[in-house]
Amino acid sequence: MNISLVAKGQPEQMHRHHLLSRRSPDEWALGGILLIGIAALTVAVVAPLYTLLSKSVQDHDGNFVGLDNFATYVSTPSLVSSISHSLTVALLSTLIVTTLAFCAAYAITRTRLPGKGLFRTILVLPILAPSLLPAISLVYLFGNQGILKEMLMGESIYGPIGIVIGSCFWTFPHALMILLTALANSDARLYESAKVLGASPFRTFLTVTLPSVKYGLISTAFVVFTLVITDFGVPKVIGGQFNVLATDIYKQVIGQQNFEMGAAVSVILLLPALLTFIADRWVQRRQSAMLTSKAVPWTPEKRPLADNLFTGILLLLSIIILGMIGMAIYASLVTFWPYNLNLTFKNYQFDLMDGGGWEAYWNSIRMATYTALFGTFFIFFNAYLVEKLKGFGIAKFLFHLMAILPLAVPGLVLGLAYIFYFNSPSNPLNGIYGTMVILVICTISHFYTVCHLTAVTALKQIDPEFESVSASLKVPQFVTFWRVSLPVCLPAVLEIGIYLFVNAMTTVSAVIFLYSYNTMLASVAVLNMDDAGDIAPAAAMAVMIMLTCVVAKLVHWVISTILLQKTQRWRTRVTEGATS
Amino acid sequence: MTAHPYLQLIDIDQYFGQFQALKKVSLSINEGEFVCFLGPSGCGKTTLLRVIAGLDSLCSGQILQAGRDITYAPVNKRDFGIVFQSYALFPNLSVADNIGYGLKSRRVSRQNKTARIRELLSVVGLERSEQKYPSQLSGGQQQRVALARALATSPGLLLLDEPLSALDARVRAHLRHEIKQLQEKLGVTTIMVTHDQEEALTMADRIVVMNHGLIEQIGTPEEIYCQPQSAFVADFVGEMNFLDGFLCNDSQVQSQSIRLDVSQTGSFSIDSPLRVAVRPEDIRLRLNGDRHNVLNGTVLDLEFLGSKARSRVAVKGHDQILIADISMNELTELELRNGQNVDIQLPRDRLQLFGKAAS
Repeated sequence: MNISLVAKGQPEQMHRHHLLSRRSPDEWALGGILLIGIAALTVAVVAPLYTLLSKSVQDHDGNFVGLDNFATYVSTPSLVSSISHSLTVALLSTLIVTTLAFCAAYAITRTRLPGKGLFRTILVLPILAPSLLPAISLVYLFGNQGILKEMLMGESIYGPIGIVIGSCFWTFPHALMILLTALANSDARLYESAKVLGASPFRTFLTVTLPSVKYGLISTAFVVFTLVITDFGVPKVIGGQFNVLATDIYKQVIGQQNFEMGAAVSVILLLPALLTFIADRWVQRRQSAMLTSKAVPWTPEKRPLADNLFTGILLLLSIIILGMIGMAIYASLVTFWPYNLNLTFKNYQFDLMDGGGWEAYWNSIRMATYTALFGTFFIFFNAYLVEKLKGFGIAKFLFHLMAILPLAVPGLVLGLAYIFYFNSPSNPLNGIYGTMVILVICTISHFYTVCHLTAVTALKQIDPEFESVSASLKVPQFVTFWRVSLPVCLPAVLEIGIYLFVNAMTTVSAVIFLYSYNTMLASVAVLNMDDAGDIAPAAAMAVMIMLTCVVAKLVHWVISTILLQKTQRWRTRVTEGATS
Repeated sequence: MTAHPYLQLIDIDQYFGQFQALKKVSLSINEGEFVCFLGPSGCGKTTLLRVIAGLDSLCSGQILQAGRDITYAPVNKRDFGIVFQSYALFPNLSVADNIGYGLKSRRVSRQNKTARIRELLSVVGLERSEQKYPSQLSGGQQQRVALARALATSPGLLLLDEPLSALDARVRAHLRHEIKQLQEKLGVTTIMVTHDQEEALTMADRIVVMNHGLIEQIGTPEEIYCQPQSAFVADFVGEMNFLDGFLCNDSQVQSQSIRLDVSQTGSFSIDSPLRVAVRPEDIRLRLNGDRHNVLNGTVLDLEFLGSKARSRVAVKGHDQILIADISMNELTELELRNGQNVDIQLPRDRLQLFGKAAS
């Protein structure tokens, strides 16, 4: 409380008297909305996680048993092996993806190759597909009846090899985007200095390039590691008998209805994610200090040998990605693999098979649309309040903390937490269990952090005095939000919207525990059809999800382009502005 | 100038955590006056401005504007216009919309609004720029739009937070003059925060010099420059040479092995430590018949400053190097060179004495 700092001798009552009138009604109203936001995040994130944590130290009847569940887990050899499995797979994938993504990002930002834009588009394509898609492609490519089965030289794709390849495929774009940003921030003056001082290209790479992307690399490694260790789709489809932590939770909960053990495994899975989260926060803080505003962008020069080498790398990566996607599309169109290779749309007749039918697809579209609409609105407006509302310091801090928290929570863990929290008969919100509402809330919560940070970053870039100026002109703050802050931040808002839509379409992990008969989703249908042996329809549904995301991306691109053109007059920055 | 207090600050205290940013600041500003808050960064001048605007709520004290207690009034219940260092122009709104932003909420008719915007644009000399966006204007033009926007609602008080510091030297000098003229024409009470002493000296009716959250001195530019009340003010406004010493009798100060005549000793008693201050332009290098306070020294170097030259002189019997300014004419006449032996005079009526602790 800031009034506790009142100087001695001033009667406290006098200040209390003024307390209400110190802020305008306008500010009180916005503060009230922020409090509602805090309540919402408490219900959607904090309370479920708390319930999950308490479940992990209870037995089946709800008695407190301390760490018994964990002890049981550790003493079961088949279960504890999952920990080392998860770590092996995650570490291996991290190593491979970080290396490849660095090469690709370097090729795109630091060489003079033709067609960089095209390569870039191809390389980020996997982000538009559910993580199940590469797993299904792998089955067709290297499975028992796979066309390239001989390349494995007797090894089976069902197991660690498949999980690593599949994980690399879908995490690659995430790594690529972080490293592209890191490498794009180059300062030409450093390179010129290195050249003037007579450093060789290799030495320049070691002393200038690598240090400048050091934090980007660390960040990438952490992000990929978390994504892989918490992913559930790939090991489920192609893992075979190779158990990992994520599939353990699923098996404990869905297979054996052992919720307490599921909670215990969830807590174990929470640890690496939490660690990663803390490390990543630390790295982010370091990184921001690296670049000065005076940096001069660097233009790469022509280096035939390096350029050819990197063209080769990009081509190879593009072929692999297109090949995997192409395989899924082809498989979805084949009548009966591998005996009848005639093309048909039979596998797209989802209504003729189990797994939810076309209804599941439309449910996904609805879910993604609601998520994008409500999520964007809620996230952006609350981020605005956190950044731009005067006072309410504690509330803003609390909100920010809660908004960051979901990043550390794997989807599967969040989904299980939702079961415990919302399925409890004593919860007044019990009614939303099994409806579309819980799916939307869970998905928004799951992907909250990245959106919140995007909004905060955009809001930080606009002048902090806008609100002060409008208050001095007696214009209510929400008018300024509507007339100025929102239009200025519109690109970021659209970015949040498309991010939520694509992730809502492709996510499996959180919603796998929460869908009901009426709210079957496309991504879950992929999993269920694959489980039932209908691999071709599963591939078809995965392709449908990807196509939908591609269309959504295109729409987003068109809207952004039109918007940028319309607002070009005021968005262009005049360089002389600040000085003359 | 009517001596009618328009804005009164009474015993303002402001804390940021444990740090006290303002210490019992009291100040009274008359209607139509142009006041500058001057001080180094971190002295509390911007904090004081934000407290007056209501952007930060103060810890204790009282603020009265036109007789009304606004101490705890929210920003939108106060009567002021403000121009920030960054101008804070809305980038997505045209110049006209920016200026008319505050007119919208006051039920001004469309014609009146357009007319008012036209009028303001002509006041700040930006006719025919209505439809431009801020990014299409130069920094100086943006500054004027921000000024017009702040004046649009005819506030009783205009607050300027380092309004010129983002501009380059030529534009700054020009706008300095323009803002001052505009302020005189409109007669609006104005407070400007600046760290630039030249700005404060040329524009203000009165200057409030601040340091460490305290007001060091309030006075007209002449008073501040010629009769600084503390060593801090003397040092911060203009250039100043300081010699540490003590009063050895009722008209002389001893500083190392130099003894200087002084014309008045103020409240200092014999043997009390003090600092003798003299401005560089007051040190004479060309002597007339009167030879009190003449010191012998060597010119260490000469710095060319355009209309004048600045010499650094090492004085015999003292380890403090003195700075003396002379006009270019004098320089030519004296044929001053580096290493030259010179006599310099510190005229006794130009010496000021300050307490030693204060600095």
